[in-house]
Amino acid sequence: MTGDSILLLPVLLPLFAGIGIWFLKEEKQRNFIVFITIAVELALIFYVSAKGGTLTVWHVTSRLSFAYHIDGIAKYFAVIIGLIWLLAAIFSMEYMKHEHKPRRFFMFYVMSLSALISLCFSANMMTMYFSYELMTLLTFPLVIHTQEPQAVRAGMKYLGYSIFGAGLGLLGFFFLNTYCVTTEFAPGGTLNMALTEGNEPLLLFVFFFMAVGFGCKAGMFPLHAWLPTAHPVAPSPASAVLSGIITKGGVICIIRVTFYLFGADFIRGSWAQTALLVLSLSTIFMGSMLAYKEKLLKKRLAYSTVSQVSYVLFGLLLLHPVGFAGALLQVAFHAAAKNILFLSAGAIIYKKGCTLVTELRGIGKEMPVVMWCFTIASLSLIGIPPAGGFVSKWVLAQGALSSQFGVLAVVGISILMLSALLTAGYLLAIVTDAFFPGNSYDYAAMEKREPNYFMTVPLTILAVAVVFFGVFPKYLGNFIDTISGVIF
Amino acid sequence: MNEFATILPVIFPIIAGAALLPVKFRNRKQREFWVLTITILNTIFALYAVYFADAGVVTIFHFSEKLSLTFHIDGLSKVFATMVSVLWVITTVYAFEYMTHEGREDQFFAFFTMTYGVVLGVAFSGNFLTMYLFYEFLTLATLPLVMHAMDNKARHAGKTYILYMMFGAALAFIGFIFIYCYGDSIEFIYGGVLIPELIKGHERTLQVVFLVAFFGFGVKAAILPFYRWLPKASVAPTPVTALLHAVAVVKAGVFAIIRLIYFSFGTEYLMGTWVQNVILIAAAITIVFGSTLALRTPHIKRRFAYSTISNLSYIIFGAALMTPAGLTAGLLHMIYHALIKITLFFTAGAILYKTHREYLYEVEGFGRLMPITFISMALTGASLAGVPPFAGFHSKWALATAAVQSSNQVAYLGIVALIISAVLTALYIFYIVVRAYFPRKREYAAGYYDHVSDPNCYMTVPLIMLTVITILIGLFPSELLVVLEKVATGIM
Repeated sequence: MTGDSILLLPVLLPLFAGIGIWFLKEEKQRNFIVFITIAVELALIFYVSAKGGTLTVWHVTSRLSFAYHIDGIAKYFAVIIGLIWLLAAIFSMEYMKHEHKPRRFFMFYVMSLSALISLCFSANMMTMYFSYELMTLLTFPLVIHTQEPQAVRAGMKYLGYSIFGAGLGLLGFFFLNTYCVTTEFAPGGTLNMALTEGNEPLLLFVFFFMAVGFGCKAGMFPLHAWLPTAHPVAPSPASAVLSGIITKGGVICIIRVTFYLFGADFIRGSWAQTALLVLSLSTIFMGSMLAYKEKLLKKRLAYSTVSQVSYVLFGLLLLHPVGFAGALLQVAFHAAAKNILFLSAGAIIYKKGCTLVTELRGIGKEMPVVMWCFTIASLSLIGIPPAGGFVSKWVLAQGALSSQFGVLAVVGISILMLSALLTAGYLLAIVTDAFFPGNSYDYAAMEKREPNYFMTVPLTILAVAVVFFGVFPKYLGNFIDTISGVIF
Repeated sequence: MNEFATILPVIFPIIAGAALLPVKFRNRKQREFWVLTITILNTIFALYAVYFADAGVVTIFHFSEKLSLTFHIDGLSKVFATMVSVLWVITTVYAFEYMTHEGREDQFFAFFTMTYGVVLGVAFSGNFLTMYLFYEFLTLATLPLVMHAMDNKARHAGKTYILYMMFGAALAFIGFIFIYCYGDSIEFIYGGVLIPELIKGHERTLQVVFLVAFFGFGVKAAILPFYRWLPKASVAPTPVTALLHAVAVVKAGVFAIIRLIYFSFGTEYLMGTWVQNVILIAAAITIVFGSTLALRTPHIKRRFAYSTISNLSYIIFGAALMTPAGLTAGLLHMIYHALIKITLFFTAGAILYKTHREYLYEVEGFGRLMPITFISMALTGASLAGVPPFAGFHSKWALATAAVQSSNQVAYLGIVALIISAVLTALYIFYIVVRAYFPRKREYAAGYYDHVSDPNCYMTVPLIMLTVITILIGLFPSELLVVLEKVATGIM
């Protein structure tokens, strides 16, 4: 082990704490430990982010090693993940009262964080692939938590798609292992130019399949089908982090592959870039369309994730600093907004037991705080100022225009607009019904159902964050500029 | 003296096993004592012969000038023999307990011990004739083990088994004749023995012959289309399926194929020809096919048998790349798969032994009740699926890297097969584990969980040992790789 061994701490802490949580039978005690663990984890993330550093845990063979490294991408994602993980955990403490086996839930919930942080900090291909698989395996129990036959089937689908996606990624690693100078991530790519010459078509092919493979976790067409099946069956806090955070696991991998292994210059202008842009745009449109038609609230939100995460991929694949900035902003805002939405859906299930959109009439009167947060998140997803989504979509559109893609840029922006319209259709319809139930609504049957602070506080914090960073995007923007300054 | 040391581990168990046949032991303790003594002694003999004797070529008997009974321990023999002799002891201990519920242990252990010698015979063979001889013996010695239950199902499986084996050996024999005619000797020499002047004009014929011999040996390695015997043979007692049908017998097939490619025909002659493409494709198809059928099979032991079919072709794929890197990767997978699959079969055996459940939908919720069994299954399963840093990942990594470096377009196809198979592997393994740990919500019949617990230490200790070895060897593969590289380049 060489380097700053402190980097190992944020990876191992949740792993062992998770195992420890399994033995805590008393609810209060367990909740306390979960909170402390993730809070300490968050502090550690901040600490190592400020400190930076590299660590080689051990050399498996001469070319394969486990290594961690803190760079801009690692910091950015780790902080977002840690924050949201903490808030969703607080929410779960209340929510899991009505689900069975809360011990197992929290055990895997906390352990999954370890895989995610490991993914963020990965310094080379093998570590990333390992963390990626670990993330799938550790989140799998969250998906099948209810153990209903339907959930188990969804879980297997999740497992199959994820491992296939990871397999495509691995396929690429086999080739990169030969064609790259090292398997370590380096800004600008590590392709061995002497070997690459003459093999460009092969390598572009490989890149395409890697992006599609990792795109699986991010819900990109054609490997998106697991997402609307698996996300809704999980308990709501798990759906929230699956949709908001785990999908970003795929994004991290695509960033690493695109900018840190192949390098943007190699891919720019190739057929692979065009094909992937088209795929992401079709996913944006398709996801919104399917969400619009869906009646089950959590499933609608899952389709919305399919659409929204592809905004990120679209921005990344423009291979332009502005597009990149838009993509990373979208990562943050979508993570926050989608967590609000799923957690609100969870609060509604918890308090009222409603799962269909049609049952939500007047719910704004019953749970005002929850539904206000829901509204703010909706505005963010659509892209209406002052919510954060506006900023990210604005920058994305700017990126599309400045990337000189001609027709595709124009088509892209039109699809972004169209998708925004559809998003408004499928989210604002709920909000309208919730706050303005109309005259036929039975006001007598209405009762106060506002959940307690465990649920409302995380929601409020997230909503405030969405608005705050929407109004002052430069705090995020400046940081993103330092990242893109290195890789472009 | 050293000559004798080379022959001893082959002869000793055969004689001892034959001597055990008529013996009726008074009780279990006595039998265990004798069988274990013989096995451990022979493992010591074998390891001594492999690592210390260094006798070179030992010729016992000349039939004619060119034909002889010859032993020679080279690098490849060492790898195979070490693997077999270590696993044999562990399996024997496991079998002591397991066989109590199958009955007729005297006969079982007699043949089981004999097989040990025969397998080492295959490993130590110095020329084609000797290998062919022991190869046939292997079939005969294991037949009673396959048919051990002696009910109709087992006897039918036995008949299928012997039919396939004899057929395969006959095909391989054709290859032997051509090597005899066109080679300057029948000994195994790295790089092949064919004489270039003789084969001029006959390249086509020899290529076809190679293919015939390849598929002949491929029968034992269960390559498509000759795989049917293997899932059927899973009616045999679990120690047999675990050791013979995941390690010794099937890997004797792979071993023979490696001998055929690298030591008889030679890679120089085969590389880049259409024959190489054919066997690469055959291996790739078998890889995907085996995994697919495994996923579709609810019977746990048969599921693992199909998985073996798939994994054997990983090794063949590596060997068929015909580069040192490919062979290294293949050998690495041979060792990993041996450890992993034997563990998996042991877990299936443990379930069968304790609860008589054979299908994966009958084990719902067992995970918590049989912790050692299912933790072993989960860990080795993750290895098999190739989750880093577990063992299977390195072999897959090595295989695929070798395939990329061979820059053969057909080999790229094999990489795709590896990836598809990895997904299927994860699904067919984790499906059982998931069933065991996350039972579906439904009503379970009364008595569903009766007798569900880990078996005693005869079975759990081998399981734990194998799991630990599998994990360790996955974490520290570098030393192993160095040795295998030497073997694959013919230095050792």
